[in-house]
Amino acid sequence: MARSPALAFLFEDNSARLAAVPPVPVWDLGVRVFHGLLILAVSVCAATGFIASRDWLGLHLLGGEIVIGLVVFRLVWGQSGSTYARFSTFHASWAAISAHVHEIARGERRPHLGHNPVGAAMVLALLVFLAGLVGTGVWALGGVLKQGPLAFLASYTSGLTARSIHNLLAIGILALVGLHLAGVAFESLRVRQNLTRSMITGRKPGPDDEAEPRHSARPLRALLAMALVAGLVVPGTVALSARPGLGVPAGATDPAYARECGACHFAYPASLATQAVWHSLMNGLDAHFGENASLDAAQTASIASYLDLNAAEHFDTLASHSFRLMNPGDPMRLTASPGWTRLHRSIAESVFTTRAVGGKGACNACHQDGATGRFDPQRISIPKEALN
Amino acid sequence: MTRFVILLPVLLAAAAAQAAPGPAQQAELDAYTGMAKAADPNFGGFSAARGQALFLATSKTARPDTPSCTTCHTTDPTKVGRTRAGKEIGPMALSAKPDRYSVMADTEKWFARNCDSVLMRACTPMEKGDFITFMTGQ
Ligand code: HEC
Ligand code: HEC
Ligand code: HEC
Repeated sequence: MARSPALAFLFEDNSARLAAVPPVPVWDLGVRVFHGLLILAVSVCAATGFIASRDWLGLHLLGGEIVIGLVVFRLVWGQSGSTYARFSTFHASWAAISAHVHEIARGERRPHLGHNPVGAAMVLALLVFLAGLVGTGVWALGGVLKQGPLAFLASYTSGLTARSIHNLLAIGILALVGLHLAGVAFESLRVRQNLTRSMITGRKPGPDDEAEPRHSARPLRALLAMALVAGLVVPGTVALSARPGLGVPAGATDPAYARECGACHFAYPASLATQAVWHSLMNGLDAHFGENASLDAAQTASIASYLDLNAAEHFDTLASHSFRLMNPGDPMRLTASPGWTRLHRSIAESVFTTRAVGGKGACNACHQDGATGRFDPQRISIPKEALN
Repeated sequence: MTRFVILLPVLLAAAAAQAAPGPAQQAELDAYTGMAKAADPNFGGFSAARGQALFLATSKTARPDTPSCTTCHTTDPTKVGRTRAGKEIGPMALSAKPDRYSVMADTEKWFARNCDSVLMRACTPMEKGDFITFMTGQ
């Protein structure tokens, strides 16, 4: 078998030579703790995001907050950590990367105490992707669910776009993590060093690289910078999050509507259905889903005008966008619409017919914030009795 | 104290047995008496038995989903009922829900709807008075 110089390392044993060199500190505590916490936070986000997005949204958001905190820390530490934490020691230019690739191809093994050029590029790419994930996540949260600091600004459709980008970036980060692990394994074999262990112990076999100018860690400076960023971002986020969401129903429910249309069932928030649906419903109350639900003319007129002024068209929430298309075979039943069916496809039919729920139309049996028209995913809980 | 707790259900049962229309219910009954007399000069008073029969009957002219008053109100007027949409309806018996038949506009609204759903026609003043007479005695 012909041995290419790039793979020659697979067939040599230089462990004796490396064991003779005393290890030197490379990854400071900041880098190592950052690395460990990032693995944890990204794993939580990936698990909650890919597997159980709606039920675990709270944990997903917490993970995201930790990720962005860590990314900011890493940016700060890149200016104030010890030598190999600093971005000034990341030689990730095209020239350096191509030189490194050529070295590998030639089978040369110049020691890199810090990240080699490809590794440095990977770290920077990971940081950029993570920041992009958090950014698109916050935008999607604001636009689609009308929560978080961008709820006041982001439209539903822009939120959907952000969510698609978020999903693509999430797949991208999986690929990057895979490449990162493959790269670490390859490099560990190539230079006969356990790079994973180095990221835990912080040490690598020497000798020290004289070419890199020494820097000592400046934890106080880093702390100050972090405090400054947090002092601006945290109150800003809280203040923005407190602003009313774009196109979220905020007015009080008309008491006459709540009383009359809430007598036989949950008083469906006006923002759930279009003007056309409310119009035909109000014109056919004497034959309302097989029953007479008529009101006197004055009340019919006033409720009809309330519904018209508060119909789905006036809002921008997920719930107000989900039931705009009705089922032509049952054109006034929200629960027969394609949107409703899609959103509830994971729930068994038998759950709805239980006494504790009382039917598909009993939105408030499961949606604790149903009456507000928000339908937040965090406020869903199917009654326990219905699940046995 | 213990004796009182044991006695409580007995007292409640006694109270229920003696349920009688209060002034608000009496006002509705008086109004329906007036309407019944206007419709039929020979009107001879309401009957709880006729009211009960109306309540329990299965209508031949009903809309398919509402064959009887008991479809929603159950056959026991002291029990909670349920709408077809799954929402609870308070008991119809005055003893079990003392604010029943106290607001004429509400009573009229529901008679109008429910009689139309079950019988496909309006109830007569006599049927309405019979029904309230039966329920206020329950
Ligand atoms: C007399 C009882 C009654 C009253 C009063 C009533 N409804 Fe209904 N409504 C029903 C029934 C019964 C259904 C069908 C429930 C089912 O099939 O599960 C229904 C269904 C609906 C639905 C469809 C729910 C779904 O499953 O998607 C809407 C929307 C609705 N009603 C709106 C109204 C409005 C608006 C008013 C007030 C003007 C009103 N209802 C008053 C009895 C009533
Ligand atoms: C048996 C309980 C139950 C009932 C009744 C119910 N829902 Fe839901 N709904 C859920 C669950 C659970 C989910 C989340 C499904 C999932 O994640 O797959 C959901 C999701 C939704 C969502 C999407 C929420 C989001 O942000 O992703 C909307 C909007 C919604 N429901 C509206 C309604 C409306 C309107 C009604 C009444 C006409 C209704 N639901 C009745 C349980 C219910
Ligand atoms: C489709 C379900 C349904 C059927 C069938 C039905 N009802 Fe009702 N009824 C209701 C609901 C809902 C209410 C109002 C809820 C409440 O007042 O607690 C009501 C209220 C009433 C009231 C008003 C009580 C008051 O406090 O003033 C009367 C009277 C009444 N029903 C009579 C009847 C009679 C008589 C029939 C049979 C001919 C009948 N109902 C059949 C659902 C029904």
